[in-house]
Amino acid sequence: MKVKGFLKDVGGASRVTKTRLESFENASDRPDMTDPIADVARAWHPGWLDLVVSEVTDISKTSKAVRFRRADGEPMQYFYAGQYMVLDFPIGESVISRPYTVSSAPCRARGGDGYVEICVRRPKEDGFIADYVNEEVKPGDTFRGLIGCGQFYFEPLRDSRTVVAIAGGVGITPFASMAEEVADGKLDIDLTILYGSVSSDDIIMRDRLEAIEKRCDKVKVVNILSGDEPGWKGERGFIDARRIRKYSPAGVENTTYFVCGPQVMYGFIEKAFDELDVPKRRRRFEVFGQAADVTALEGYPEDMKDKTDTEYELTVVRGISETVIPAKAGESLVTALERAGIRTETGCRSGECGFCRTKVLSGNVFISPKSEGLRAADRDFGYVHACAAYPLSNAKIRIPIAQK
Amino acid sequence: MKYYKDHYDVIVIGGALAGLSAALMLAEKGKDVLVLERHNLPGGVATSFVRGGIEIEAALHEMMYIGDKDNRQKVGKFFDRLGIDIDWLKVPEAYHASLPGIEATMHPGLETFSKEVDAVVPGSYDKVLGLLNLCADVYSSVNELSVRSMSKAQMLLKHEAFVKTAGYSTKEVLDSFDLPQKALDLLAPYWIYVGSGFSDLPFTIYAVLMGEYVGNGSFIPRKFSHEMSLKMAEKAEEMGVQIEYRQHVDKILVKDGKACGVRTALGHEIFADYVICSAYPNTVYTKMIEPASEVPAEAIKMVNARRLSLSAYSVILILDKSAEELGIKDYSIFRGKTMDTDECYRELGTLGPYSYLTCICHNLANPDATPPGTCSFSITVLPRVDAWKTVTADDYDRVKHEIADQLVADMSEYLGFDLKDHVLECVIETPVTVARYTGMYNGCIYGYAHTMEDHIVARLQTADAEHFIDHLEFSGAHQISGDGMGPAVVNGWKAAKNVLNTMEKEAE
Repeated sequence: MKVKGFLKDVGGASRVTKTRLESFENASDRPDMTDPIADVARAWHPGWLDLVVSEVTDISKTSKAVRFRRADGEPMQYFYAGQYMVLDFPIGESVISRPYTVSSAPCRARGGDGYVEICVRRPKEDGFIADYVNEEVKPGDTFRGLIGCGQFYFEPLRDSRTVVAIAGGVGITPFASMAEEVADGKLDIDLTILYGSVSSDDIIMRDRLEAIEKRCDKVKVVNILSGDEPGWKGERGFIDARRIRKYSPAGVENTTYFVCGPQVMYGFIEKAFDELDVPKRRRRFEVFGQAADVTALEGYPEDMKDKTDTEYELTVVRGISETVIPAKAGESLVTALERAGIRTETGCRSGECGFCRTKVLSGNVFISPKSEGLRAADRDFGYVHACAAYPLSNAKIRIPIAQK
Repeated sequence: MKYYKDHYDVIVIGGALAGLSAALMLAEKGKDVLVLERHNLPGGVATSFVRGGIEIEAALHEMMYIGDKDNRQKVGKFFDRLGIDIDWLKVPEAYHASLPGIEATMHPGLETFSKEVDAVVPGSYDKVLGLLNLCADVYSSVNELSVRSMSKAQMLLKHEAFVKTAGYSTKEVLDSFDLPQKALDLLAPYWIYVGSGFSDLPFTIYAVLMGEYVGNGSFIPRKFSHEMSLKMAEKAEEMGVQIEYRQHVDKILVKDGKACGVRTALGHEIFADYVICSAYPNTVYTKMIEPASEVPAEAIKMVNARRLSLSAYSVILILDKSAEELGIKDYSIFRGKTMDTDECYRELGTLGPYSYLTCICHNLANPDATPPGTCSFSITVLPRVDAWKTVTADDYDRVKHEIADQLVADMSEYLGFDLKDHVLECVIETPVTVARYTGMYNGCIYGYAHTMEDHIVARLQTADAEHFIDHLEFSGAHQISGDGMGPAVVNGWKAAKNVLNTMEKEAE
């Protein structure tokens, strides 16, 4: 065979080798330490940060807003309005983490004094972290936090620019962030917030949202009270199909609905969406965090329902070491690890984000059907998301080595 | 608490395909191996993620070197040998080419492919088949020469085509076939999998590309590339390899010119006889070697001389109708407003608009890839790292969406409906995403560009001289075989073999 001529053809390998060596010879010997693409990645996703509390304010009778800055004085990171952050609370021997939606806008995180804010309301049950935040947290305290988590944000490629937000209780927070971002001209959507509360005392950040509404005609807030409050001039009742239609002048095809609130609300809203034929792609639900009652989850074994106090032995493998800790049937594996003071990375506490991907080596574990984040192959090999997995026997798990 | 043994035979930095492949080969030889992976799962970009309850492939378009059950190729054989039982699905076609004046669906098989070119360009069959046979010939030589060395005279005798084409670019060899433009266009679309324009792409690489993809077809795992990564990791653990996730390695410890361990971000110092590293030599020689004085100037010159290749940008859509309902007929659509690869390569050095797009609809190889009544559709361009170096954190979101809008508009025009009307879930992956999850230098997934200046034949000849620190080996796209998931596995073997050879030599 011949490409150009025998000598030229057979000399190819030597030719390309010589070229290579020459290119090395002519190169600079100055180390190039730059990696601008990693720099952008770090600006958006710096990982866990030390955050110092800069301000704590009351925002309703039962809620507080807590603002954080970076302890190292570096600029706060980028994120999308609607995303949540994870905070670690050192309580006694344990480190307990909780996800909180950021209630301040991403634009408030820019500049030298940029901050992020969360709102914490004291719930009726399981409120010990909420109590802790309300009573103990004060300016100057430092916590570890991971900002910019979750998928609950406006995505122009998918969502309509006409957005109706449906909020209940503390579920107003992502929309407070979005509203501020819209008012500052950083997010180009028309935002109508339907906000359900029992009484006007329960409305969180009412003043702030009213001020935004006044200065920006792209944001509209409709408070709807379910309680029997004399003198209330606004909407009364529940957020139902009729009301959703009333506030969707563009039609359900051309409106994206974002829903955030207590778990019970989701069922009613789904039903209303079905009634209105809202396309699936127009429905965005925020995950709702740790299940309050595991026995209420679909598929939880009948014979275990009155035995959720049962304490099992959980063997935790990290590297070449093993530790045995107690684990209650009614609590997630992550909760057992936290109680035992074993640090593990966990994010949404809803089984979605996958931060706490964990291998179950032996034993039986109930996986919440709401744990939609598991990969198919992971399922085949016994991986679970530990925040949404509950022991049904003594068990052995393997988790990544982490800082204490 | 003691997490690590006092000593390992080998520490592998990075639990992606190359690192796992190296670990598996070493474990097969009874070596005590520790793999440290920064993310919380194996695979690097060979992974998947879940959005709204739907699992989505992160990166794999088609896996090479697998082959049908009765025609297993090298990576497929390796998995079979180790009992890594992956549920491979064959990709039904090579690609649908939508090029200037051409709409043609091409299939694997050298003769089939040549016939399909001939249907578009009558009379081109013999020449096209001649070219493809040459590719297959060179490809088989590459396979043979990668396992056995021989004298120059022997090489010329037994591997004539390989030797005689080694000094030429793809363009130079294609020109010698004197093919009509449309035939050339139909032979070009796979170029993106090796990422250099034909005037600078070594023909040897083109030959491997066409020899394998057109010769043997391509495959995907049923449960996404995560199935492959996870099964490799699980097998490695079964064979005694310790894999630790979420462990970022900061430093490679070197003493008297020899790698002897690592330090992790958590501060653990771990010791071993050998280190295999998946991080780019650029990162290693400028930031990771401790003490830095162990890095010779030649190592810095080498990394400075080499040009980084491509990164990745994908818009991945989950659509709210099935592929059939939407009229999507092909697993892969390669759409080019031009098929001049040099021009396409130039465009990849910008932030768009891009005129060469590759699209994948997984459901056409794997009907159950997404829930009934939905399908996945991804649009990918592989921009050069240089283009993205200019994007600031402030600009990032805007740039990311402007490109997405262009890609989605172009493909909507081609498909005849607006993709935006059907988006159930969407994800935009960028070079920044790659950097975030894998830590790869400048988000570069393709390693160093395959060019005439950085030719694979030259890489093979100078490999020993480019070894600057004893007992430190590299594995990943930045190594000899370059980019791609199949080549990643091959790069891992090479690193493991180097370790095994040194062990043997030093034992003597």
